[in-house]
Amino acid sequence: MKERTMWEQIADSLRSRSLWMLHYCTGCGAMELPPTMTARFDMERFGVAPMATPRQADIMLITGYLNTKTLRRVIYTYEQMADPKYVIGFGSCTINGGIYFDSYSTINRLDYYIPVDVYIAGCMPRPEAILEAFNYLMEKIRKGEADGWKRYKENYEWYKQNQIRSLGEVYVHDEFHE
Amino acid sequence: MTNSMSKAVEVLKSFNPFVEEIDDREIKISLSNDKVISALDVLKSIGFSHLSLITCVDWIDDNQFELVYILFNWEDGGKILVSTRIDRSNPKFITVKELWPVARFYEREIHEFFGIEFEGNDDMRPLFLELWDEKPPMRKDFDPSKYSKEKFPDRKYEKDVIKEAKIFRGEING
Amino acid sequence: MTAVYKAILNLVIAFFFVISLEGIARKITARIQRRIGPPWYQNFIDIFKALSKHPFSNGWIFDFGVLMALGGAIATAAIIPMGSTFWTPFPNTDNFFVIMYLFAVGSLGMAMGMVGSGSPWSAIGVSRALTQMLGYELPYLVVMSSVMYMYKTSSIHLLIEKQATNGWNLYVMPIGAIVAFISLIGMLGKKPFDIAVAPAEIASGPMAELSGKYMGLLQIMHAFSIFVEVGLFVDLFLGGGSLGWFLVKFIVVWVLATLISSVLPRFRIEQMLKFYWGVPLGLAFLNALFVLLGWTF
Repeated sequence: MKERTMWEQIADSLRSRSLWMLHYCTGCGAMELPPTMTARFDMERFGVAPMATPRQADIMLITGYLNTKTLRRVIYTYEQMADPKYVIGFGSCTINGGIYFDSYSTINRLDYYIPVDVYIAGCMPRPEAILEAFNYLMEKIRKGEADGWKRYKENYEWYKQNQIRSLGEVYVHDEFHE
Repeated sequence: MTNSMSKAVEVLKSFNPFVEEIDDREIKISLSNDKVISALDVLKSIGFSHLSLITCVDWIDDNQFELVYILFNWEDGGKILVSTRIDRSNPKFITVKELWPVARFYEREIHEFFGIEFEGNDDMRPLFLELWDEKPPMRKDFDPSKYSKEKFPDRKYEKDVIKEAKIFRGEING
Repeated sequence: MTAVYKAILNLVIAFFFVISLEGIARKITARIQRRIGPPWYQNFIDIFKALSKHPFSNGWIFDFGVLMALGGAIATAAIIPMGSTFWTPFPNTDNFFVIMYLFAVGSLGMAMGMVGSGSPWSAIGVSRALTQMLGYELPYLVVMSSVMYMYKTSSIHLLIEKQATNGWNLYVMPIGAIVAFISLIGMLGKKPFDIAVAPAEIASGPMAELSGKYMGLLQIMHAFSIFVEVGLFVDLFLGGGSLGWFLVKFIVVWVLATLISSVLPRFRIEQMLKFYWGVPLGLAFLNALFVLLGWTF
């Protein structure tokens, strides 16, 4: 790993203290976020705030199972986010498919399609685990190790090839929007 | 059985149905497939005006599909399942979109997941699945596990977790 | 030359003071909701982080609109008097109308740039923001014209001096001050009137396409706008004072607006317009009538 300049170190420590997460939820993990946000666990004290659009967001939470239809939208959304961007995969569904390991429409492994910085094990992880993951991600960003966005650029062909293998085509055809 | 349901059973006597009581608010009426549309029409006119769902069951051993129309009565909350069996090798049925316009979406869904054609309903574009390239996935002879293995690569584990768990529980010697 | 130094001081105070206050507002909201909340310097981290990201542009109109918004806000913040004639950078141009016109440059720049991004959310958000402007400006301007009629001047530092002898406008015309405060909440885009940036409905409205550095610039612009809006209210109704007193009054007005905003839900756009053109506009005209008849305290 190459040495960071002083400016990059400052930028990384700033990024670690101000994580704006994209409020986009895919599975059952969406249910764990309201308690994480509100008075009981209060993730805003770490600087984690929900943002409405991918353009403003820093982290994307994949909260649970992803079927192929959602994966297309996730890839769209991920590519719309501004660098540097980080991904957290929630629960066993994003790690190895979980209870949907043999489903005809649900992917088994998220990091084949987009780079993942932190996984949280569990089905579903509790808010404590989510806060722990945020803290771990902050630590990683501060050390400059959360380089998923760089990996996505460097291995773009590999990721695209995996996406096309599973999805056929990434482009979204939608009868309600065309 | 609620009043509306016993009335419905009374009215449907001439259709020669097989009535099965599931619980006190739900009965299942099985009919031969040429009588289903007129039975649905009668049921709609006596108060079962709400089509909750059209669904399908694959009886692969009998080589038949079972179509189930779930009707609901807003007067006293009675529910009737009208079911019929059609041939599995040439699955075709008649649309009910004239009775309930919402049915065209249920029929699209059934066409997508079971491959049943509905005569009279021409709009059979895919509804949920995008770029589906296999046989309809809810059919019993479709193997989702094989499809998943082919299409969605799995994580390779270096450890044999199940074996370790067995050693841990003392079932085998490690 | 001192005018330039004073203007720079204006901007420095606007930047550090207002952004800290925004952080404190987040803390206050959090405490009301029984949370711990982010530290008070969270907004500095947010802005500098946003400036360190690699953003997307949406064409030159977008870039130019963001810069125009920031430039308009900076230009307005630089000429706001801070509570007394001594802390007025440009005593000849601190006219109320000049400030209003310059302030409109910033808003128009933002509207232009955001519509230039091409996102439908931005377009909806901008149209909502302009509608809201139509709502709060009307009662605000009626109150302002009665203030200017009463003292026969529109220069802000002269109005501050007149209040020093005559008593604060808050006491001289309490109805007008209340209406101006209600308009101020709409101007700040605080909770019952945060229709333009409704994150849950229209994906933060005008800012839907802003990424990275653009977002940071717009947050700085927002801080300068808050300085202008609250500063004007303090100057015109709370009688200014020395620099320290000005800042204290600024904090009081800001915290009051924050407290109100943190317990209220959001209006719909037509409810907002009905609200502003109902009671506040009526009260503003009543206030103007009292001023015309000389019935002031």
